[in-house]
Amino acid sequence: MNPAVGLFAFLAVTLATAVIGFYGLRISRTTGDFYVASRTVPPWWNASAIGGEYLSAASFLGVAGLILLSGTDALWFPVGYTAGYLMLLLFVAAPLRRSGAYTIPDFTEARLDSKLVRRVTSLVVVAVGWLYIVPQLHGAALTIRITTGLPSWVGSTAVVVVVCLTVVAGGMRSITFVQAFQYWLKLTALAVPVVFVAMVLAGNGVEPSAPLPINPTGQASAGAYNHISLLVALLFGTLGLPHVLVRFYTNPDGQSARRTTLIVLGLLSVFYLFPTISGALGRMFAPELAQSGQADALVLLLPGKLVGGTAGDLLSALVVAGAFAAFLSTTSGLVVSLSGVISQDLFGGSVRGFRLAAVIAAVVPLGFAFMTDTLALAGSVGLVFAFTASTICPVLLLGIWWRGLTDAGAIAGMLTGALLCGGAMVAGTLMGTGNAPAWLAQPAAWSVPAAFAVTVVVSVLTKNRVPASVNRVMSRLHVPERPVATER
Amino acid sequence: MTRVRVTAPRQSATAAPGQLPYPREAAEDSDAGKIFIRSLIRSQLRLALVVACGFLVILAVFALFLVYGPGVAETRILGIPLDWLVLGVGIYPVIGLSAWLYNRAAARNEARYRDLVEDK
Repeated sequence: MNPAVGLFAFLAVTLATAVIGFYGLRISRTTGDFYVASRTVPPWWNASAIGGEYLSAASFLGVAGLILLSGTDALWFPVGYTAGYLMLLLFVAAPLRRSGAYTIPDFTEARLDSKLVRRVTSLVVVAVGWLYIVPQLHGAALTIRITTGLPSWVGSTAVVVVVCLTVVAGGMRSITFVQAFQYWLKLTALAVPVVFVAMVLAGNGVEPSAPLPINPTGQASAGAYNHISLLVALLFGTLGLPHVLVRFYTNPDGQSARRTTLIVLGLLSVFYLFPTISGALGRMFAPELAQSGQADALVLLLPGKLVGGTAGDLLSALVVAGAFAAFLSTTSGLVVSLSGVISQDLFGGSVRGFRLAAVIAAVVPLGFAFMTDTLALAGSVGLVFAFTASTICPVLLLGIWWRGLTDAGAIAGMLTGALLCGGAMVAGTLMGTGNAPAWLAQPAAWSVPAAFAVTVVVSVLTKNRVPASVNRVMSRLHVPERPVATER
Repeated sequence: MTRVRVTAPRQSATAAPGQLPYPREAAEDSDAGKIFIRSLIRSQLRLALVVACGFLVILAVFALFLVYGPGVAETRILGIPLDWLVLGVGIYPVIGLSAWLYNRAAARNEARYRDLVEDK
């Protein structure tokens, strides 16, 4: 591929992000404006922003790559990513908006009236955020290497630098606009090339070089345990992702939080059609990418390979732009929510503290990214979901729906989940991909129930620690807001 | 106009630590109101569980059908294998429909609660 294409696309996305950030900045000038604006963000904008932030490297590159490798087994990934939002809608969206909490530690502290719970939750949230940023940086490294031929570290470092600059300069302001723009950019960047490639193939009457149902590398189909464990991770992991929660705060009330989530589900469903088609085209027309270990780059290489010429270059530029939009939006969303947590707990919430925290939040995962190897993107993000589902999910769900939750139960549950799931992740990595048994490679099916069980049992044993404020907090979470007209 | 950087929720500055910064719900003051709130929470939880279980059952039926359904492996519609169509396209409308039905029912539960509380 022409190296200039990749570079140009990267610069264009960075520039567009900065321009829209600036445009949004002019709308929201003061603190008051920020809050007023945040209450009038229409559900469509908000939903696009949530979609923009959620669709990460794993969705943009990883899903198609995994479909190329393992076919229908991989189709469960986008189903799980989308259905995770259904669970979020059912159990979390409206109550969490009504809680008024801004981050997950805010929520657990208010619900359980305990500073210690807040600290433990903060640690878990930071761990989740860092784990989630690493695959984004791997995706950026891969994209830069494949499209420009530059060394891998350039890609991940560039993303960290751009994210640090935007977050340090702009903080939280105007980010809704940027994220909303990036959803539509990602959709276009994936949909247009895929449709174009399919039309060219159909127009030229090209015959598939390999049948769709057979895995190009001869990889065996995953067992039922893998599917169930993966679905548990994705269904229950989504509702604990730190960067997703912040977006719900910009909904005016609980009911609009639900409406927004419904639109998000629609946007995700439309988006995931295209990685699926892309993966299917790859299996039929470019199966050699799977053998050469470039599966994750399928989306990037497809237009150049199957269309070629100037049209191929233009389409490639579009895809690369979309890929960088994915890395930048997810990483900046995570960095913003992590630096909120870090600065409040370590630096007392000052502006300087927020900037310092943003740098910490972005640079530490860069170190991880250098030390670790690029796994299959969708797979490593799947593990992060498993970790979230075993740590944050039990506390969040039980906190919203069960009066009996205590601070001791919450802490015990989070630590159990973190130890079991984190231990399985470390052990699985040490054994190497492919050697680890299924129950270690996909721990969610047993680590999530274990975390729930420990949380409930310890809470029941420490009944006397149920906070006095529990009735008040529960009614705050669930009672619908009064219509605006009758509000004082 | 001064510019202030926003790094944290506004409420945390004014509310006492560990307390949520909203006005007190009037219904909390009476025993009947407390019962209304409890029953609202219970009905919302029941609704969420019913929709979640229903969706998971449908998902399981889809998965079992794809594995054990007679002739699934050979069936093609417009040249696309059936299992690809079901997993790649067919499940998404089910997710959307579940979400839409849930939203309507949840809003209805809340409207019923408001009617009860305001009738008193």
